[in-house]
Amino acid sequence: MSWLEDLSGELYSRGVTRRDRVRIVAELSDHIACEPGCEERLGDPRMLAGSFADELATAKARTSAFAAFAALALAAIVLIVSQITLARFAHYPGYSNGISPALFLPAIIGMLVAPQVALVAGTLAAWRALRRRRVASLPAEEIALIHRRTRVALAAGFATMAGLELYVVDFSERLPAWWLGLTGALAATAGAGLWATARTLSRARTIVSGEGGSAGDIFEDLPVLGWSWLRSRPWLLGALASLTVGLAIGAFEAHAEHSVAEGIQRGGFEGVAAALGFVLLGRAVGARPPRA
Amino acid sequence: MKPDALNGQLDSLILATVAEEPAHGYVILQRLKERSSGAFDLAEGTIYPALHRLERDGLLSSAWSTASGRRRRVYSVTRTGASSLEVRRREWKQFAHAIELVMG
Repeated sequence: MSWLEDLSGELYSRGVTRRDRVRIVAELSDHIACEPGCEERLGDPRMLAGSFADELATAKARTSAFAAFAALALAAIVLIVSQITLARFAHYPGYSNGISPALFLPAIIGMLVAPQVALVAGTLAAWRALRRRRVASLPAEEIALIHRRTRVALAAGFATMAGLELYVVDFSERLPAWWLGLTGALAATAGAGLWATARTLSRARTIVSGEGGSAGDIFEDLPVLGWSWLRSRPWLLGALASLTVGLAIGAFEAHAEHSVAEGIQRGGFEGVAAALGFVLLGRAVGARPPRA
Repeated sequence: MKPDALNGQLDSLILATVAEEPAHGYVILQRLKERSSGAFDLAEGTIYPALHRLERDGLLSSAWSTASGRRRRVYSVTRTGASSLEVRRREWKQFAHAIELVMG
C-alpha cells in the first residue's frame, strides 16, 4: 500500500469527510510529485491524519456550537414576536379555551421550559467554543462536551418551536388567522434553521479526535463566580441553582401579577423545573461530573 | 534545530513565507528550508494541517490551479493575514530582544 493510500485510509478511519479527504490527498500527492521519494520526510501518515482529524474535529465542534447559537437566537426572536403580537393584537384566549388539553400541555411546556434549557445549554456550548477559540486541537472529551451541549440546546430549540406549532393548532378556532399563519410560518422557518444546524452537528460528530485531556466542567466556564468549592458537591450546586431560579421568578411574578400566591406558584414551578433539568441534563452539559 | 523549538512559531513562519508570493505546499516548505539554511528539521507533512488551520482562521486563502496536469492548491495571504503577520513580527522582535538582553 502506498503512503498516500495509507494517509487516505487513516483519514477515512478518523471520520474526515470525503471532501476534506480528497483535498488533503490531492495536496500531498502534488507534494510527492514535486519530489518523488520524499514520502518518508512527510512523516507517519497515521500521525498526519491524526493532526488533520484533531484540528478538523475541533474546528467543526466550534462551528456547530456557534451555528446552533445563531439558529437558537432566531428561534428566540420567533417566540418573542409570537408572544408580543399575541398579547397586543390577538389577545390571550385563556388556557382552557383550546381544542384539547392534550395539545395545550405539551405546547405550554415546550414554550415555557424548553427555551430555558435551550438558553442554558446553547450559551454554555457557544461560550466554551468562544473561550477556547485559539486552541487548534481540543481534547476529545472537551469536543464531546461541546457536542453534547449543542445537541441538548438544539433539541430544546426544536421542542420550543414544536410547542409553538401545537399552540397554533390548539387555538386554531380562537385566534385570528393572520396570527396563526404568521406564527406557524415563523416557527417552521426557525425549525428548519435548527434542523440544518443539527445536520452540521451530525457531520461534525463523525470526526474522531485522539487528543488527550479532560473536558473541564461548568466551573471552568464561569470561574468569575468563585464557586469552585461546589465542584465536589454537585447536588448542592443543583439545589442552590434551582432555589435561586425559583426565588427570582417567584419575586418577578409576584411583582408583575400583584399576587404573592401567584409568585409562589410560578416560582415553585420554575424551581422544580430547574431541579429536574439539573437531574436529567446536568451531566450532559458538564454541570455534574461524568460517570466514573 | 529540534522541531519542538518551532512550537507556536510555525504559523508565523508560514505566513511570512506565503506573504512573499502565493505558493503551494511544496514551495512553501522549500522557502522555509532555504531561508532558515535548513535549520528547521520538521516532518514535512506538518505544514499541511498548519496551512488548513491558517485558512480556516481567515489568514490565508487558497485556490486550485493546474500544473503539469496535476491539481495544486495555491495559498496566498489575506488582508487579515497581512495584519496578523505585522503584529506577529512586532511581537517576535520584542520577544527576541528581551531574550537577547537576558542571554547576552
